[in-house]
Amino acid sequence: MSLLSRSRPAPPPPTLLPVHRPARIGRLVGWFRDPRNLLLAVVAVVVAYLALVPAGTMAVASLQTSFLSTAPTGWTLHHYTETLGEADFWTLVGNSFGYAAATAVISTVIGFGLAYLVTRTNTPAKFFARVAALIPLIIPGILNTVAWALLFAPHTGALNVLLRDMHLPAFNIYSLAGMVLVQSMHVTPVAFLMGTAAFTSMDSSLEEAALASGAPPWRVFRTITARLIRPAIMSAVLLMFVQTISTFEVPQLIGVPGRTFVFVSKIYNALQAFPTDYGTVGVIGVFILAVASGGLWLSRRLSGSGAAAQTITGKGFRPTSTDLGRWRWLGLAAFVVFFLVAVALPLLMLVWSSLLPGYEPPSISALHRLTLANYREIWHTPGLIDSVRNSLITAVIAGAVVTVISAIVAYITVKTKVPGRGLLDGLATVPLAVPSVVMGVGILYWYLTAPIPLHLYGTLTILVIAFVTIGLPYGLRYIVPGMAQIKDELEEAAATSGASWLRTFRTIYVPLLAPSLTAAFLYTVIVAFREISAAIFLYTQGTQVVSVTIYQQWSNGSYPIVAALGVLIVAFLALIVAVVSLLTRKTGLNRQ
Amino acid sequence: MIEVRGLTKRYPGRTVLRNAVDGIDLDVPEGKLVTLLGPSGCGKTTTLRLIAGLEKPDDGRISIGGTLMCAPSEGVYVGVHHRPIGVVFQSYAVWPHMTAVQNVMFPLRSGQKKLPKPEARRRAMEALEMVGLAEYADRPAPALSGGQQQRISLARALTREPEVLLLDEPLSNLDAGLRDRVRDEIRAVQQRLGITTVFVTHDQDEALAVSDEVIVMDHGRIVERGLAQDIYAWPREEFTARFMGISNSLPGTVTSADRDMAEIDLAHGRLRCLASGTPAVGSRVNVFIRPESLVLSRKDPSGRGWKGTVEFSIYHGDCWDYHVRVGDTLLRSRMYREKIGLAHGDPVFVVPEQETAIAITETPEGTADERTAGATVLAATTAADAAGQGEL
Ligand SMILES: Nc1ncnc2c1ncn2[C@@H]1O[C@H](COP(=O)(O)OP(=O)(O)O)[C@@H](O)[C@H]1O
Ligand SMILES: [Mg+2]
Repeated sequence: MSLLSRSRPAPPPPTLLPVHRPARIGRLVGWFRDPRNLLLAVVAVVVAYLALVPAGTMAVASLQTSFLSTAPTGWTLHHYTETLGEADFWTLVGNSFGYAAATAVISTVIGFGLAYLVTRTNTPAKFFARVAALIPLIIPGILNTVAWALLFAPHTGALNVLLRDMHLPAFNIYSLAGMVLVQSMHVTPVAFLMGTAAFTSMDSSLEEAALASGAPPWRVFRTITARLIRPAIMSAVLLMFVQTISTFEVPQLIGVPGRTFVFVSKIYNALQAFPTDYGTVGVIGVFILAVASGGLWLSRRLSGSGAAAQTITGKGFRPTSTDLGRWRWLGLAAFVVFFLVAVALPLLMLVWSSLLPGYEPPSISALHRLTLANYREIWHTPGLIDSVRNSLITAVIAGAVVTVISAIVAYITVKTKVPGRGLLDGLATVPLAVPSVVMGVGILYWYLTAPIPLHLYGTLTILVIAFVTIGLPYGLRYIVPGMAQIKDELEEAAATSGASWLRTFRTIYVPLLAPSLTAAFLYTVIVAFREISAAIFLYTQGTQVVSVTIYQQWSNGSYPIVAALGVLIVAFLALIVAVVSLLTRKTGLNRQ
Repeated sequence: MIEVRGLTKRYPGRTVLRNAVDGIDLDVPEGKLVTLLGPSGCGKTTTLRLIAGLEKPDDGRISIGGTLMCAPSEGVYVGVHHRPIGVVFQSYAVWPHMTAVQNVMFPLRSGQKKLPKPEARRRAMEALEMVGLAEYADRPAPALSGGQQQRISLARALTREPEVLLLDEPLSNLDAGLRDRVRDEIRAVQQRLGITTVFVTHDQDEALAVSDEVIVMDHGRIVERGLAQDIYAWPREEFTARFMGISNSLPGTVTSADRDMAEIDLAHGRLRCLASGTPAVGSRVNVFIRPESLVLSRKDPSGRGWKGTVEFSIYHGDCWDYHVRVGDTLLRSRMYREKIGLAHGDPVFVVPEQETAIAITETPEGTADERTAGATVLAATTAADAAGQGEL
């Protein structure tokens, strides 16, 4: 065997550190000399910067006498006393809370009801359950909003025409009720997903024990099932609330025409006004931030304690299903109705409108006017193709950056014992609690005033920064479980084979994580592509992204163009989502 | 070849007042296989990982082949990937996204000295041949059985021709039949290549089978070291004796002693025992007797037998274990030929073989542990003080 005969390689020179340096500093310098540690430190700083700057700037703006002006600035609580003292503000609070609370309750009730049917009964609706997971990704909020506005347009809206034909009063969508309707339709699939997860992870032997104690099914549902699921419900309500209170499209497109203002639309319109009252905007921003982080914190706590209750047993875990008998067709009907209303109607409305030269309700007589002209028109609408390109560029770059940062953050938090890694993990999820609007305004303020030599305002970079910050928690959610599945020994085996850390990361972690990395990348692309709540504050003339374009074209009344563009976007997102779900299914990574 | 001095490792935040590795000195001569043997949690893995550089010690120094690898007091630390080592992990750690041969090639393609692909593959194939897996070269790693994966892992550790091979319980994840085969394979390859090896195990049979030298560890310290056959035949420490499965232990008093031998007074009679270091006459000792060294007979012609009654017997296939009550103590005797008809309650004589029993000076029960712990706390606090004052 020639292994024997070959001479051994000369031992490598030891990397000696200077001995006479003061011990602490020497150790610190030595620590940073390792490229691995340097990289980890850089990423930690970047994450901290991304997470803290927007909310921090917002808070500072709310406390300064004259933010963004040449006048000397001082500190003051004036904005708070003034804003909180106005009756208008409290109307705003009332509207916002009413809107968000109603939406949260309605969507959670429908979502959990449907989830119960699909997980705990023999309702034949598995197909819908699978589709529901994809809907919120495929239909961006702005398109959902646009579609509903078309469906319920005061005179010509398809559904209002229908209502009038049935001699019922028309529904005025430009109202608080309209806002609640549209937003509920958008977030219910998310509540449904949370419900499915909660019901699936609940041990049904607890219910069986109650049944076996002689309690009738309805009583079991009331005293056991409903009680056990309550933390999950509360948690879902809070999440829906937070999401609703911090997004832009419904308040602006549905609320403002009916003069129903909530926080988000107030901020947007205050920033459009001149002279801009940055202080008040800051106060409202801080207020939403506080509400959102409080809600999120409470939601986490509730779902945490709920999870503890749900894992009381664990052995012999098997979700039973109640046989609904003939009623199960009624359950199926509920699904069909929901999907017709929440998914099919808006999508069909978009398709219909995209095929007509001007907006009109569906009718036989309109059929012969169908045309593809709007799709051709897209190419000739000034700035539209540019905005699509901007969206693609920013989304792809943000996706790549998020993937890289998430991979390293996941490595630090899962694979190392670096002190402060818990803090890093926390920082990386901070953006979840920062409403997109606050994110947008905070980033805007920061890059307008920050004492840094780069002028990022008016560039695509600032949008990328916003999208990266918003996408980071989602990227981590895909990569952390993947990272945790890789055993430490696989890295150690590479190190003991002589591979440097960077090489180990490239040759061991990257290939093993490839499915998670790809999923994280594509998901971030989707999130960035749909994003409007932050982008609306950050775009300028040349840096418009497609969601903003939709909003503007809508404001200009170019409904058919918006519809055609919407159809194309939905098709594009559906394609990406198909790839993501294929990937996650293939790797068996289980997530919502 | 491997030289370890005063190696100490504390895990941060541990409430237990002991170091995981507590001032270990260790020498592994060129070409030898040394086993670290001890119960679970005694610090074997930690010691091995310290040698590999996967953990950083708090104190001590490690050198391999005369090159200093690690000495915290001098600020020397050679990164894992700069050390001339090969490691076989308990869980194989075969990379699942590569084929068998890609796994084995990795060290040649990624180490300090990068070989061109055909050359790396040729050498990887040699290594695979050595472990008898050449025909599986292009199989994806997850499609191999546990034993095959472990041999891939061995081949991978060897292709780079490291100066030392480190194995952490390489057999513990294999099922019984396979364990012996892979064990023999490891020893065969080690002796053929003459590679300096540290082998970690908690199984004394495994340790005896493969080792040139055995090092017995407990609570992060070395209890005893010696040639495999010496450790087996004549353990000098109580801990070792018990750990090596010498299950009969009887208290006694020394009546006379010369070099390596002593007369011991036991409750049931007098016995000539092995005894190291000439124990003082009158001192208390524990006498350890292997079950094989207790012969059962119905009569007692020599007059040296101890009278007892049979409690129960266990059949092992090649031998029988009889548990015999002699006075208050229950003794275990192993017989390779059946004593026909011995059953519960039968009277029997237990005849101890002369000069195979081992007398070990008694360490009062419990206090040994406390002493170690106390010493460690002291060492730990002084070390911490030293560190706090910035390396005086
Ligand atoms: N990463 C760690 N953190 C804290 N304590 C550890 C860690 N690894 C090992 N220990 C502790 O150090 C001691 C020695 O562990 P180890 O070397 O793994 O023992 P062995 O391999 O002999 O079973 C044990 O008490 C163990 O609990
Ligand atoms: Mg171990």
